Amino acid sequence: MVDNAAIRALRTMDLIPYILENPGESISSLARKFAISEDQIEKDLQLIFMCGLPGYTPYELIDIVFEDGFVSVIDPQVLDKPRRFNKTELIVIALGLQILMDLNKSDPSKILKLNSLSDKITKLGSSNLVSFKASETNSVFLEQITGAIAKKKHLIIRYNSLIKDKKTSRKIDPQSIYFLNGNLYLSAFDLDVMADRVFKVDLIEYCEVVDSNVHDHAPSQTQFFDVVLDVRKSHRNFIERNSSVISAMQEFKDRIEVHIQISNLEWLKRSILSNAPGISIKSPIPLANELIESAASVLALYRA
Amino acid sequence: MSSQKTERLINLTLALLATKRYLTKSEIFTTVTGYSGSPETMERMFERDKDELRNMGVEIEVKGLDPLFEDDQGYLIRAETFQLNGNEFASDELLYLTMAANLWHDSALSNDSKAALLKIQSLSGPIEFNAFNSPIVRDNENSQMLLTAFEAIEKLKQLSFTYNGNDRIVEPLGMFMRSGFWYLVAKDNQVIKSFKLVRIESKISELPGSFKKPEGFDLNDYLKRYNEEEVINAEILVRKDQAYSLRSKHQVKEYDSEWDSMVVPYSYEPEIVENLLWHGQNIIVIKPQSLRSAVISRLEEFING
Repeated sequence: MVDNAAIRALRTMDLIPYILENPGESISSLARKFAISEDQIEKDLQLIFMCGLPGYTPYELIDIVFEDGFVSVIDPQVLDKPRRFNKTELIVIALGLQILMDLNKSDPSKILKLNSLSDKITKLGSSNLVSFKASETNSVFLEQITGAIAKKKHLIIRYNSLIKDKKTSRKIDPQSIYFLNGNLYLSAFDLDVMADRVFKVDLIEYCEVVDSNVHDHAPSQTQFFDVVLDVRKSHRNFIERNSSVISAMQEFKDRIEVHIQISNLEWLKRSILSNAPGISIKSPIPLANELIESAASVLALYRA
Repeated sequence: MSSQKTERLINLTLALLATKRYLTKSEIFTTVTGYSGSPETMERMFERDKDELRNMGVEIEVKGLDPLFEDDQGYLIRAETFQLNGNEFASDELLYLTMAANLWHDSALSNDSKAALLKIQSLSGPIEFNAFNSPIVRDNENSQMLLTAFEAIEKLKQLSFTYNGNDRIVEPLGMFMRSGFWYLVAKDNQVIKSFKLVRIESKISELPGSFKKPEGFDLNDYLKRYNEEEVINAEILVRKDQAYSLRSKHQVKEYDSEWDSMVVPYSYEPEIVENLLWHGQNIIVIKPQSLRSAVISRLEEFING
């Protein structure tokens, strides 16, 4: 069993090479980065101030200075470099490099560098027992999007909306990009409808950075709908993929009653039809009837 | 008391890291500050300190110093096992490492992502990198479950958990992430299977003892076999000016004034049925008959409840 003193000792030793490379950092910033209180950071620094090499003369002690809430290291003794990455940190980095290779697959020079870096990480002891497989993501506009986020510029995009089944041109203020369920998404403020929207990056057909600077947006007013679904256990994939919209669940023998709160009814209708007959609507009844009519119209095409 | 012990652990680590030769226990007791009391007390303190540092991943090397006296052992920590080499990474590599670690800062692996980022910044100083510009991974997993699984794979420890209502004891061999979900590859009753982590219904526990990894097991080979599926071509009709996401991926031919035709390759029928039904009245499946029948029967079952 590891004692707290050992955890604190290693964390305190981690502070020294960090401050050495990032001199003049404030106590509050260190506390935030090392996920401990400011009081604890101060105690750790006061403690390491007393530590050093055998002999323990002033020349052999770790030497740090505090000035107005800011810290610098004068003499780190042997703690001039960070500790090696542990196994899980190496897994995190190795998987991250696999994702970066997937995002940059159209750029051979970047792939070459990422491959060589990946080899170095493997030599440091990264496990080859963990693997990441991204979806086929078309990320040709990734650099433009990240550049626009960094420079706080607007983008004009042509988007192939899966939900509306329409191509639309939109002016957006890009906020962040993220992977969810294997797909790359762009979260942005749509300036045409003045509301937050999420775009699947591989459905963006055209992208242009425009010069207009970003201004603050009024918070969008979105209408939410409460819907109760009956999901067969064979279709729980739907629940796993959409956990963020679920407000309550109750499990029965072979089905799950799922309460959701959503703003996009068109998305829900298409999702239920595509999962038919695994998901049905329990309430509101008019929405359930509308979906049954839609399914009947599709079926009529096969009987024509 | 705790501060004194922390101070002693730091001083012991620094002394073992700085030395060029193995230090004996008596040298440690006389030179490293913090060891006091009777020889037996100091001996016990040192053994506990050494075990705790080792449990935290610090590699303390031991060497017999005199072949005639087995008890006369020396200790040191090699810098290359404790610290990263300052020249190990070029500046562009440090940027890629930052991006790679940062990808996970909003996921179940966020604590390890942040710890790795601090170490990278301890090598490089501040990096010209805006964390908000770069993609991040959002997953649905429980970090404790992931860490227990990673550790069991490394240490070849059996795991027990409940999956699909059944209690399992498995030999974990690897993990992979597919479509945003983590899967555990493990031997269950002599068969190597994949378990979706999000579907594990209980706590995941490591069992005592270890197992022998199957000879020749390679995760990438396993995943290649896992992905080898027969590809079938579906012939479908697509209503004109509709189903743009399909049109952007597959070529169309004019069929009549209302419809175009399209060939869509697939390997897993439930997945293509889901994709085609998404487009509702804008798609009709022509061939193969099995796919057409699957679409029809799903719609009939949905309508009839």
